[in-house]
Amino acid sequence: MAQVELLDICKRFGTTEVVHNANLSIGDNEFIVLVGPSGCGKSTILRMIAGLETISSGEIRINDRKVNEVMPKDRDVAMVFQNYALYPHMSVFENMAFSLKMAKLGKNEIRQKVDKAADILELTPYLHRKPAALSGGQRQRVAMGRAIVRSPSVFLFDEPLSNLDAQLRTQMRMELKKMHLKMKTTTIYVTHDQIEAMTLADRIVILKDGRVQQVGTPVEVYERPDNRFVASFIGNPPINMLEAVVHRTSDGDAISFCGLTFPVTLPDGCRDQDQVLAGIRPDSIKRDEALAALPEQWLIDGRVVVSEIVGSQSLLEFTMGEASVVAELEGRVAAAPGQTMKLGLNLENLLLFDPDTEQAIR
Amino acid sequence: MINRDRIKAFLTLLPSMILIAVFVYGFIGNTFWLSLTDWGGVAALAENPVRNYAGLSNYKELFTGFLGGGFRQDLVNAVYYSVMLLLGAIGTGLIIAILLDNKPRGEAVFRTIFLYPMSLSFIVTGTIWRWMLAPQGGVNILPTYAGLDPLKFRWLSSTGAIFEFNWQNLLQIAFYILAAVLIIGGLMSIKQNPTRALRRFLLPGIAVGLAAWLFGDLLPKALFMEETHGFNLATLGIIMATIWQYSGYTMALYLAGFTGISQDLRDASMLDGATTAQYYRYIALPMLKPITISAVIILSHISLKMFDLIFAMTGPDNAETGHPALNMYLTTFRANDFAKGAAIAIILFLIAATFIIPYLISSYRQRRTR
Repeated sequence: MAQVELLDICKRFGTTEVVHNANLSIGDNEFIVLVGPSGCGKSTILRMIAGLETISSGEIRINDRKVNEVMPKDRDVAMVFQNYALYPHMSVFENMAFSLKMAKLGKNEIRQKVDKAADILELTPYLHRKPAALSGGQRQRVAMGRAIVRSPSVFLFDEPLSNLDAQLRTQMRMELKKMHLKMKTTTIYVTHDQIEAMTLADRIVILKDGRVQQVGTPVEVYERPDNRFVASFIGNPPINMLEAVVHRTSDGDAISFCGLTFPVTLPDGCRDQDQVLAGIRPDSIKRDEALAALPEQWLIDGRVVVSEIVGSQSLLEFTMGEASVVAELEGRVAAAPGQTMKLGLNLENLLLFDPDTEQAIR
Repeated sequence: MINRDRIKAFLTLLPSMILIAVFVYGFIGNTFWLSLTDWGGVAALAENPVRNYAGLSNYKELFTGFLGGGFRQDLVNAVYYSVMLLLGAIGTGLIIAILLDNKPRGEAVFRTIFLYPMSLSFIVTGTIWRWMLAPQGGVNILPTYAGLDPLKFRWLSSTGAIFEFNWQNLLQIAFYILAAVLIIGGLMSIKQNPTRALRRFLLPGIAVGLAAWLFGDLLPKALFMEETHGFNLATLGIIMATIWQYSGYTMALYLAGFTGISQDLRDASMLDGATTAQYYRYIALPMLKPITISAVIILSHISLKMFDLIFAMTGPDNAETGHPALNMYLTTFRANDFAKGAAIAIILFLIAATFIIPYLISSYRQRRTR
């Protein structure tokens, strides 16, 4: 039950500024994911919220209380660390009970709370084990249990799944989502994995070089990225960026790239003969039956470079003029390299970016 | 194949095995044998000295004999000295390490300064501290800088003693110590398993203590006359010098341990609501238990073997500050009482073994369970 607000916060280490004027308003019960490449300042922001890093300038407010100078323990936040940071000499029970013990709770109360959390996390059989005798997933759950027992108003997660293997990571991701739905606690989650961000978040905050690039729901940042970085960072396989020229004539709007011209509806932000970057998501490229839904002018011939079957979908790399483009196609496509294939570009979802400012043209 | 590897390994190790067998265990055995003889006296240095088997008479003489009083005081000194050195050096080193762990300005400089005394030899340390603790100089005149009267305490030659006890009651005291150990052990384990702690430790401890208190007078006397021993205040100066020399060492041990603890653990404990003091009390120190154990073993050995520092500070035969190691040297090579000297050596060896053997057993067990 808490709102968290970041007002113009900066973090400087000596003369280097690693977070520049970050602003963010996090609502009650919201699941916010901070995502970005390493070194983008996402963990630093999280640590500033936790109180583990000082704030160079700006203000952090939790529940309308300025917490810049408040000690970590008094901020009513709990954090799960990337390497779990379990106390190695304590049993699972003692690890989870430590914060309650520090808060001077009664023995029975501590036992009750720990037992309840252990029950939720299915840790009851392991309460007497030391962390060294647990598997990675179990340790991860102990780390979460340690956060849960305090029933804090804000959960902070610092890449909690990155030390798990792929299968366990997917499983734990779902558990996390379920837990958030059940407990409804404001959660701030840091990751560099965009899939985690897309699946978990109510809203995603995309960071680069210490600056907030865009804040929005997963669908928003996927479909309407504010700039080239966001468009490239979100989405897997990554978006295809093609150099293009736009035409606005009395015959209507069109865009040309790779030596081909396509009639499209252009946003108001571009003028005739502007050089732009055209972003085409791999899943906007269609084949076979799906082609019927597209206007004939959007159909192209692609020369296959390589194709990969990924379960029910296929990834296809093909060349279009000079450019190499990746498509994510429904069904299993077994195409021989060099073969020509009939493909269609769904240019309704076309994204345009200014090549100099890299901002989206709308 | 395996056999050939084994033979090679055995041959490689053989020279060191032979050397250790002869020069360590062989000599321990020889010393033990000598301690059971009567080698000594006027003809001790003869070409073929007379050595008759004498049983445990040397030991009996040392612990209960009329002339063993000096040795007994030395032994008491060594015990007090060890305890004070352990508490002092580990405590001081720990406090400095905690201060430096919090990264004050100039931490690296302080670290070097505190570690520096380690690089001095005991003779140098002893000489410096002898001057500093001179009756009318050094430490004693420090208060005059604040306009106070100088101290009068004779650091190295005081004849005062505290915590005195009568050697006659040695058995009773041994029982008291046993009771104390049992009760402390019980109190320490009472949290984990109250019934076991009560049955195995607390009740027996109280019973032994009560019995020793009630029926102590019935126990056989260790001596035929009253002989008091205690903590000689003159050893304070030596203890101070040793703590000064070794707290830097324990500081380095602890500091290395603290630095090895992940910052995340500290962050986690802060978020869990622990203060700095609680972080060290509940997280850092329990994690560094192996370091504490090593420090205890190393320092207790140093205190049991202490020789040169005392030699440099108060000379070899100052009765107040005597130590069994010095006594052994004097008995063996000044008095030519080789058998009794060997007995003292064996006693020191056994005391040292009581520290090291439990440690070896526990580390061996840990390695096996790992």
